[in-house]
Amino acid sequence: MRATVWSGRNTVQVENVPDPKILNDRDAIVRITSTAICGSDLHLYDGYVPTVKKGDILGHEFMGEVVETGRGVSNLKAGDRVVVPFPIACGNCWSCEHELYALCENSNPNAHLAEKMFGHATAGIFGYSHLTGGYAGGQSEYARVPFADVGPIKIEDDLTDEQVLFLSDIFPTGFMGAEFCEISGGESIAVFGAGPVGQFAIASAVLLGAEQVIAIDQYDYRLQMAVNQAGATDVINFGEDASIVEQLKELTGGRGPDAVIDAVGMEATHGHGLLHTYDRVKQATRSESDRGHALRDAILACRPGGIVSVIGVYGGLMDKFPTGAFMNKGLTMKTGQCHVHRYAKRLYEHIRNGDIDPSFVVTHRVGLDVAPDAYETFKHKQDECVKVVLKP
Amino acid sequence: MRFPRPVDSTLHGVVDYSAGSLLMTAFPRLAGISGTQAGRQVRVAGAIHAGYSTLTKYPLGVVKAIPFPAHLALDAAGALALAATPFVTGQYKRGRSQWVPHVALCLFELSSLAITDPTGRGDFHGNVEAVREANQEDPHRKIYDGRRAVRPVAA
Repeated sequence: MRATVWSGRNTVQVENVPDPKILNDRDAIVRITSTAICGSDLHLYDGYVPTVKKGDILGHEFMGEVVETGRGVSNLKAGDRVVVPFPIACGNCWSCEHELYALCENSNPNAHLAEKMFGHATAGIFGYSHLTGGYAGGQSEYARVPFADVGPIKIEDDLTDEQVLFLSDIFPTGFMGAEFCEISGGESIAVFGAGPVGQFAIASAVLLGAEQVIAIDQYDYRLQMAVNQAGATDVINFGEDASIVEQLKELTGGRGPDAVIDAVGMEATHGHGLLHTYDRVKQATRSESDRGHALRDAILACRPGGIVSVIGVYGGLMDKFPTGAFMNKGLTMKTGQCHVHRYAKRLYEHIRNGDIDPSFVVTHRVGLDVAPDAYETFKHKQDECVKVVLKP
Repeated sequence: MRFPRPVDSTLHGVVDYSAGSLLMTAFPRLAGISGTQAGRQVRVAGAIHAGYSTLTKYPLGVVKAIPFPAHLALDAAGALALAATPFVTGQYKRGRSQWVPHVALCLFELSSLAITDPTGRGDFHGNVEAVREANQEDPHRKIYDGRRAVRPVAA
């Protein structure tokens, strides 16, 4: 089969690789009909995530048709249309029983690697380095789905692939970021980053009833999408004015947003000259893994007693974390890889009811063979790119 | 094969400030020209370089006024002017220390420019046109003409 493989920093290739096979009773094989490039794939692409190896198949956002199931999978059959959540969860461990699916204790065969870095292992993830299990990803024609009796979301109506594909990751991730903000109606929410996850965080804040949703980015076309389609009420373009904290105060009557969502993560590109230089040099020399401008500003901007929701991906360590502001302002931080299984059914219902059409983020739909150029286009924000869907 | 230009505008900025600072401070002493006319010329060159770097429209600029390609043109012109200075003033006759640093700095600057991407994007190597041709969506229409995709459902 054809698959998108990592072949070094800033390089992916579409190659012929062996077809996946059923290895365990709870596996299924899925023929992929749509898959997407995620912003967090760029962290692998850029070489900032350790334990990626040449030849690893990328991709953790995918859906398709079941072609084969193991003996232990009774809820699916060949021909079923499914969306596959990016975290691999067993459904039986303590974490899964507490709906902490992204922290599954049984799905990461390389737990010892993660334990060294994080103290504890996290769940296996498709196509996301050997730190998360070394599973083959879904930017390919077929994929093996472990614990298929737990993960896949069966799609039983005629919604298009683009309407349901993002149930695999970015829609639930954005939604979880908004849910962390404890929106009950009337709040002011700021969202750092108007990339695909940021767009869904904005849309989810609107869905949940926030009164003011402020989108922050440096690309006008992304801010335009945030306003036109995701429902942002205000925007800040930090490419024009880097004083984000002051602008957020101005927009919120001097108090600051009730909650701030960091949908940026470890490769922030704010324009704070010297601090950016410092982070850039440290990251380039691998003495710091995470550039934390967005998180620093999120903490400084959030109103006292507010919530900082972190859904942007961080990989290791960052410098200059503003502990003083965080502690003295009495902030609450909520974070994590998304527990997709927890949200999938609820969000699928919202799509079916017409409350949200997630296909709004798709700006590029191309064949799998175009993946290498699509990665570059997405990374460098060319051609007004927000989200790329690949059709194997 | 395309000539590799991996240096993006941020990394170029790091070199600008580092080199500018070094020329203004330690370089003349290290080159053995401290206190001489050549030393003063190198210090002024470093100050000018760091000065217009702060005015450049790139991530490390303070006042983003000068477009990045114009900054690169200033780099090239400044490097050539620095190399020419000892020969214009005639100080090259006073020994190699009075002109070799100028020429060496010019060559360093021109080498740095040769591997800097003038678009500022650095390691970009994608074929956007191929993606555009293969794309079944119209990004511009979708972003600017698309309708609201979400409605509030909970208060």
